[in-house]
Amino acid sequence: MIDLIISILRSGTPLVYVTLAGVIAQRAGVWNLGLEGLMIIGACATVLGIIVTGNFYVAMAIAMLLCMLASALLWFVIDRLKANPIIAGLGLTGLGIGGTALAVQAIYGSLSAVNAPIGVPRIGPLFGPFAPLSIFVLALPFVVFGMWVLLRRTRFGLRLAAAGEHPFAARSVGVNPSRMRLVALLAGGVLAAIGGAELAAGSLNLFAQNMTSGRGFMAFAAVIFGAGHPIGATLAAFFFSVVSALGIRAQLSFGDALPHDLLQALPYVATVFGVWLSGKLRGGLRAAGGGFGELRDN
Amino acid sequence: MQDQVALILRTLVFIIIAILLCAVIFQIAGFSAPLMLQSVVDGAFLRQGALPQALRWGIPLFITAAGVALSFRVGFFNIGAQGQFYMGAIFAAVAAELMRGAPAPIVVPLCLLSGMLGGALWALWPGLLRVRSGTDEVITTMMGNFIAGLILVWITSGPLKDPSGSGQQASSRPLEAAYRLSTSTGISPIIIGIAVLVGVVMWLLVNRTAFGVLAGLSGRNGTMVAWQGARIDRLGLWSFAISGALAGLAGTIEFMGPNGRIASGFLPTHGFTAILIALVANLSVIGTAFVALFFGGLASAALYLPVMAGLPAAAIDIINAAIALFITAKSATLERLFKLRRAAR
Repeated sequence: MIDLIISILRSGTPLVYVTLAGVIAQRAGVWNLGLEGLMIIGACATVLGIIVTGNFYVAMAIAMLLCMLASALLWFVIDRLKANPIIAGLGLTGLGIGGTALAVQAIYGSLSAVNAPIGVPRIGPLFGPFAPLSIFVLALPFVVFGMWVLLRRTRFGLRLAAAGEHPFAARSVGVNPSRMRLVALLAGGVLAAIGGAELAAGSLNLFAQNMTSGRGFMAFAAVIFGAGHPIGATLAAFFFSVVSALGIRAQLSFGDALPHDLLQALPYVATVFGVWLSGKLRGGLRAAGGGFGELRDN
Repeated sequence: MQDQVALILRTLVFIIIAILLCAVIFQIAGFSAPLMLQSVVDGAFLRQGALPQALRWGIPLFITAAGVALSFRVGFFNIGAQGQFYMGAIFAAVAAELMRGAPAPIVVPLCLLSGMLGGALWALWPGLLRVRSGTDEVITTMMGNFIAGLILVWITSGPLKDPSGSGQQASSRPLEAAYRLSTSTGISPIIIGIAVLVGVVMWLLVNRTAFGVLAGLSGRNGTMVAWQGARIDRLGLWSFAISGALAGLAGTIEFMGPNGRIASGFLPTHGFTAILIALVANLSVIGTAFVALFFGGLASAALYLPVMAGLPAAAIDIINAAIALFITAKSATLERLFKLRRAAR
């Protein structure tokens, strides 16, 4: 049982950090599909940073800086150049996946996995069987609670929501929606960098090409499933990792009797179900088309 | 005409910005950017035999992109082309396996139809969820991509597994030569014929039928079209089905033509590139054909780079991604420049 909980915490924690990055962007009115790209940049920069500097904290700072830079680029394209956030986000994701593969190949001349000598500091023997978990797992409840306070109980959070839901009204009380979006995306960059670092250096201490394998998109789905609420989205993200952990567990107990490739699809099926359910509960999108009319402007 | 020219100019400006961004990334990663871009252009357009290669990669991309453009036109954001492409190839491969030994004139058309059916079905469930329950199609189609990718892994390493295959990548048994649409060159009269047919039918559908007109209007103002009494949900479902069927057809062509088998995770960026093509072409059918040839050239350069120039193929993914980042951008400064020029005339 304890190792099941540990495996859920391990797979769930990176997802939750990236989900929170999505939540804060969602509050500011940005559908951030660049999460996958930010996460893999964070993962790659952390591992390469550890190898180069030998210090986890310096590596983490580099990863955060790079992710903030990528977020700022996304903000510039969406906000200043009025690009479609979904396509631009997918573009950022592609840049992240391709760019990290390129960096690894440039440095090591091959595309095999890169091992780091150390990883995220672990929480230590004080916590008994949970000792091998990283400090980011320990910090998670505080971060989630802090995010809830920030978004729901502070002036800043309300302004952010106003900027996201009704930019015009926000502007009329002196809030600059465009700057709020920038702040939200930069904060999301920091959180996504932590998520990527936890994924790469939280237990295995290695980076492999395309190692996020859709987790950023799953985080995005958790944001939608959790209705953009920090706690709801966190629960959604953990739901996804429970499903995936149970899939692995079933594979271990039943072996080849179950097609394990199909079991791996469970989190994705759960995501579809979750989005369908949350649409059902909250009315969903309007049935008519439209909304992407800006793609065609002539 | 003026607007068209301005639009094309704007697209070109953003593509140049995207390529500059790529140059910066290449340079930071430790490659020489001019050398890299030179090799890409060489591999894509200048080397001997570049055009047939661009055609080989461009034709399936064009077929998928024509479908993507249709669903974008209707205002549905079907980004599941990759999954529909896989499901098409899977359905065709299963059909070919079931009919093993039957005469080619029966097997080939049935495989093509079954591939289109597979793609259409894989597009229809997100479509149904969208029009019946308002479930966001961006997420469902994207999850559909991942699920289809895993189904492909399962089917190539299980039911259709080639027992003689040894490499790291699981693949199906090779298709009998009699059923192949082309050799590994990927170009044959029948494949070119299918591409032309798709182009003509889609052009007529979009520009010369009530469906096409309603599709365009609903993408711009769905509420108005609904108030006029058109059945948006039916329009949406058809657009999902057609775009899925075309992606499935492209998957079938890859399977029955150049590849001759399906392998787990083959052509993982096909769907994304097709979306990009549809957007660069501003969702026009004729534009899609030309843009597909350009991206087909880039796709062939991805094979050329590691072998001929010793450079990583990821460079092409980065170029595509950077173009995606900028392609839907609208710059007020550019707009003003074009307006000034127009006023000066």
